[in-house]
Amino acid sequence: MGTEHKITRLAIGAIAAAVALGGSGTALAQTAAPNLEGVWKIVTPSATLKPLSGPIPFTAEGRKDYDANRKLKAAGTYDAYDITLSRCSSPGVPRLALTPMRFKIWYRQGVVTFDYEWNRAIRQINVGVPLQPDLMGQGLVPTMTGKSKGHWEGDTLVSVMEGGSDRTLIDDLVPHGFDLKVTERFRLTDPDTLEDRITVEDPAYFSKPWDSVVTYKRQPDAIFAEDVCLDRVAAHQPAFPK
Amino acid sequence: MTRRIPFSTWQMALAVTLTVMPTLASSQAGPPPGAPQGPPPGLQLPPGASGGPPPGAPPPVELTPAQKIVAALPPPGPGGLPPRPPLPADAVMPSADPRDLQGTWVHDKALEFRNQKDMYGALLPYTMEGAKVLSRRVNSLKVGKPFINASAICRPPGAPWQHDLNFPFQVIQTRDYAEFIFEEYHGRWHIALDGTRTPLPAGAPYMGRSVAHWDGGTLVVETSDFKQALWLDVDGTPFSASGKLVQRIRKVSDGGAVPYLEIVTTVIDPTYYTAPWSMIRSFAWAPHQAVFAEYNCEEQVGDPSVRGDAGLVPEPKD
Repeated sequence: MGTEHKITRLAIGAIAAAVALGGSGTALAQTAAPNLEGVWKIVTPSATLKPLSGPIPFTAEGRKDYDANRKLKAAGTYDAYDITLSRCSSPGVPRLALTPMRFKIWYRQGVVTFDYEWNRAIRQINVGVPLQPDLMGQGLVPTMTGKSKGHWEGDTLVSVMEGGSDRTLIDDLVPHGFDLKVTERFRLTDPDTLEDRITVEDPAYFSKPWDSVVTYKRQPDAIFAEDVCLDRVAAHQPAFPK
Repeated sequence: MTRRIPFSTWQMALAVTLTVMPTLASSQAGPPPGAPQGPPPGLQLPPGASGGPPPGAPPPVELTPAQKIVAALPPPGPGGLPPRPPLPADAVMPSADPRDLQGTWVHDKALEFRNQKDMYGALLPYTMEGAKVLSRRVNSLKVGKPFINASAICRPPGAPWQHDLNFPFQVIQTRDYAEFIFEEYHGRWHIALDGTRTPLPAGAPYMGRSVAHWDGGTLVVETSDFKQALWLDVDGTPFSASGKLVQRIRKVSDGGAVPYLEIVTTVIDPTYYTAPWSMIRSFAWAPHQAVFAEYNCEEQVGDPSVRGDAGLVPEPKD
């Protein structure tokens, strides 16, 4: 379409949230869908992703690795099973959903960006950016946050993450493999409450998919302080501040 | 066990480029500090000219003792631009509002390993202390014992280093602040608008504290209060923690072409420079690169099986 400005879909909420510095509105804020943008914080901080019902349906392999992680934790051998605690490596998906600090959600240019206060981490959900040629082969390597593809179902942002590294954990103990698939359904249950309904699948580690829900409350807008997890660890403080 | 290349080193290898890029003309209202008076030095005479230079030729530049030290250093390493997918024909375009800088951008010129000249082509006005620090760093490369810097240990390297890398970043704006989210180093550059209701947090961050105001269509950012000194580039052009950066950021439209983002950075640092000097960078519009590659340097920096400092050595203290 040449140099014409492609008109992106705008929602009233996003326009209000994305007004340029001292200027007018923006052509780049997205929406048509509910505006999830804002600053959020987990309601009930927890290191554990609790199933909605019953215990986690481990396979034998999943149970074995889980028990091994418990023993390593008891021994304080964190680097052998949890490089987030020992090295500040990205917690990945879905564990980032449990970070105790605030995060922002931006929905711009077809991408939903989770902009975490913790260690300045990010996680992105691609809602509308066409796949580009992988000129540097980066797609060949599993990553902590994998690749999240999203779409809107009414008022709900549905994200499916695959391609994650097996070096992350589901939470502080629960393991998974390369075949992890995490489906998340994000929606506002009221203007100030965000719900993330999470479904975890990995046939090698779980005998069936299992669900969990994490809830967040909207926070006042803020410029986050520069959080450097490695500085905390170097000072012998926990990777996740209390 | 396979020995992995430290992540930061790998990333830097991708960012390797050719030598010094040609300076760009500044079309800003009022030049940044350091603009020379009269024609630029090093004016070339036309082939076959004789009888001396035509009237108005500048006198030969007299180097200061500090500049002589810097001029004698080995030249910076070469490199090239990493491959980048082309902008799709149907790509969303930047806002027409000059005060809306939002979107995804990527440095579109070869990375300068070392800022040898300012945006006007003049040699940098080093103090003897500045020349000493740069010499030490360049010579450490020459002898194969490069020094540790923020990048090597997975710490925020500062805005100039961050945006100079040929990797995308996203600019977000709200009513009260702008936020640059960089693909690399978990980079965040928060810029509070002067008089904002959303103030900067207390403390001195690695990235410094940035406050801005609009001058027409240019966002003028003043950044100071750094946690530690910065390396302005890969070779270690120095900048002290007490220095100040003034960044002039604007969109430039070349007669119907896709606009690009321009950042002119003025370095004000009496510790290392006798006068302010400025560098200019341009950034291509890249909405198709809005989905970033993951950057997770902590995984390898903390790996007991690899050198967390990427084999670099601590820099001597002055």
